[in-house]
Amino acid sequence: MIPLNWVVALGAALFAIGAVGVLVRKNPLIMFMAAEMMWNAAALVFVTFARSFHDMTGQVMAFIIIGTAAAEVGIGLAIIVSVYHHRHRLDIDEVSELKG
Amino acid sequence: MIAFVILAILALGGGVGVVVARQPVHSALFLIMNILALAIFYILLSAEFLAAAQVIVYAGAIMVLFLFVVTLLTAGKDDAEPQESLQGQRLTAGILAVLAGGGLAVLGVLFPSRSVPFGLPPNFGNLHGMGLNLWNQDFVYLAAVALMLLTAAIGVLVLNRPPREGPKPRVKEGDS
Repeated sequence: MIPLNWVVALGAALFAIGAVGVLVRKNPLIMFMAAEMMWNAAALVFVTFARSFHDMTGQVMAFIIIGTAAAEVGIGLAIIVSVYHHRHRLDIDEVSELKG
Repeated sequence: MIAFVILAILALGGGVGVVVARQPVHSALFLIMNILALAIFYILLSAEFLAAAQVIVYAGAIMVLFLFVVTLLTAGKDDAEPQESLQGQRLTAGILAVLAGGGLAVLGVLFPSRSVPFGLPPNFGNLHGMGLNLWNQDFVYLAAVALMLLTAAIGVLVLNRPPREGPKPRVKEGDS
């Protein structure tokens, strides 16, 4: 039996690391991976509380998170590829003005 | 507790590796390590279906898609990180993250959630239990995920559609 409150703390730490990745890196691919890590941290906390309360609704929420991440990765990578075809640089500041 | 420490080191190491790696390929590999550590956590938390879904969907489908795009966009380039234009953003981000993450972690450790005295219900977390939940009282979430995936597929098709009629005169850079 692993300590559940420490797993929640691990989820918080992973979320913070992912937030740092989104804020600090400028490569949009790496920013996207850090955002994936934030999704994963939230799913870990959901599963942990499902185990803690003996209620499977938290696992259903983690299932939704996995499905949402799949959809988000498809759309996001398509946007990154099409921006790269216009600008030919992998730099998030290229699109900071939200103009084509 | 030993299993928790080993898995936590793997997960945190993967997470830090994603942020500090110079090349996106290394970031993707570190993220796979992080995801697999979380999948083992799911098994330990008796969520077997989610562990399998995590390995198949995340480490299988999503990360392979990431690796394809990384090889498509960054093949044979030496990507130095571009110069930071906002002054002091890294320092501010580090301080805020340490405060937020450390604060949440300390709160999570100090205030453990309510523990349920009786044992786990039958079929907790396996495929049978997830199916019973997803097809009975939580069917709306299953339908929502299905609709969302369909919308994402159509969205990708729309984003990558070829130009419809002939080459238009291109708008020059700078105006518009």
